Amino acid sequence: MKAKKQAVAGSLESSDAMVTIAPSEDAKVEYSIESIVIKQFGKRIRAVTEEVVAASGLEGVKVHVQDRGALECTLRARLETAIARAADRA
Amino acid sequence: MGAESFGWEERFLRSGDELAARERLLEESGLTVPGGEELILGLYEGENLVATGALVGAVLQGIAVSPMARGEGAAAAIVSSLIAAAVARGREQLFLFTQAREAARFEALGFSLVASAGAGGAALLEWGARGIERWLAGVRTLAEGKPERAGAVVVNCNPFTLGHRALIESAAARVPWLYALVVEEDRSLFPFQARLDLVRRGTADLPNVTVIAGGPYVISSATFPTYFIRPAADGTDGAGKAIEMHASLDLAIFRSRIAPALRVTDRFVGTEPYCATTASYNRLMKLILASPEGDGPPLRVHEMPRFEHGGAAVSASNVRGLIRAGNLAAVEDIVPATTWAWLNSPEAAPVLERIRRSDSRH
Repeated sequence: MKAKKQAVAGSLESSDAMVTIAPSEDAKVEYSIESIVIKQFGKRIRAVTEEVVAASGLEGVKVHVQDRGALECTLRARLETAIARAADRA
Repeated sequence: MGAESFGWEERFLRSGDELAARERLLEESGLTVPGGEELILGLYEGENLVATGALVGAVLQGIAVSPMARGEGAAAAIVSSLIAAAVARGREQLFLFTQAREAARFEALGFSLVASAGAGGAALLEWGARGIERWLAGVRTLAEGKPERAGAVVVNCNPFTLGHRALIESAAARVPWLYALVVEEDRSLFPFQARLDLVRRGTADLPNVTVIAGGPYVISSATFPTYFIRPAADGTDGAGKAIEMHASLDLAIFRSRIAPALRVTDRFVGTEPYCATTASYNRLMKLILASPEGDGPPLRVHEMPRFEHGGAAVSASNVRGLIRAGNLAAVEDIVPATTWAWLNSPEAAPVLERIRRSDSRH
């Protein structure tokens, strides 16, 4: 599935995460992940992000996660919303 | 998206009262009203405006938080909404313009610093992947195998005249290699691709000149928005200050990031007899690039006398003036043969027509 447009979900407020998805010329998915708790939870944040994006079947996108200490359920919700918006399903 | 968080209500600021409250908040924070805003947001706590921020093209600006809401995420809320608004408008590369002393607050939110003009000056940050690192990597490959101690000129060339040619030729004679960075922002009457091609063709015979697209970090709507705006007719103080602030930031980016990537030690510029904005830029160039203070090694700045024809300095605005006056024939004397040939090609027809109908400074 290709992204139809740029999309964003979430916010930069404490305990939230902001997910930006943008179509790219590349066929693969390019991730950039930043977090205030990257040392403690960086691996887990990346694993969750890759898992949710892979499950959506979205390809050829840049995925940027700016995490402000979100719970995993919050991160998943933000990813799913951003993906749905990028694919024009929401 | 933060619209109601902590009991704040988010509003688009439109009414005179709302905008007056915003102006007061900006003033209290020592910020100027950016101008050219497409969207101005405010966070209200009851009837009090506690935070504001605006979107100017792809640049988040005029972000101020009232002291009573500091440390409670008001800045995060307003910035989040501005990012969402910019993304919804299809802006791909987002910037944030603020005061140097405020930069760290936005770095904490995930912005990365492009450059800061030092204490009391402005700072430019960008959102997401470090765009400048990627852009500089491309620039560095252009500089591979080229001599060190190179020179640079930054030119708009709207269009390329004998004046630009003389500047580039005499600069290239003084350094082992010369980079000509062409302003990429497509806000001039001659489209960027045509301007770039004409510089390339007009300097093709100079063996030590490389022409480079200026990208988003050389006199762009992010680094120097006021460059593209006609100065206030009354020459108000506010406009002059904004120009100085943007010019200083543009020069700080050049000195701290671009010059080291290209191994540039000398910057060349033509004297500016006509345009107040460019004259101000030239004056600050000597101050900022050559200063012993600042990020990046100091550069030598050479102001070169303007090429003259018939007793007057040749400039691209002369060329546009002649075209506007219907005197295209007179242009032949002040542009190289390569530019002249292009002006007489079918490709130029719509551009010439646009110039005849426009009164834009650019």
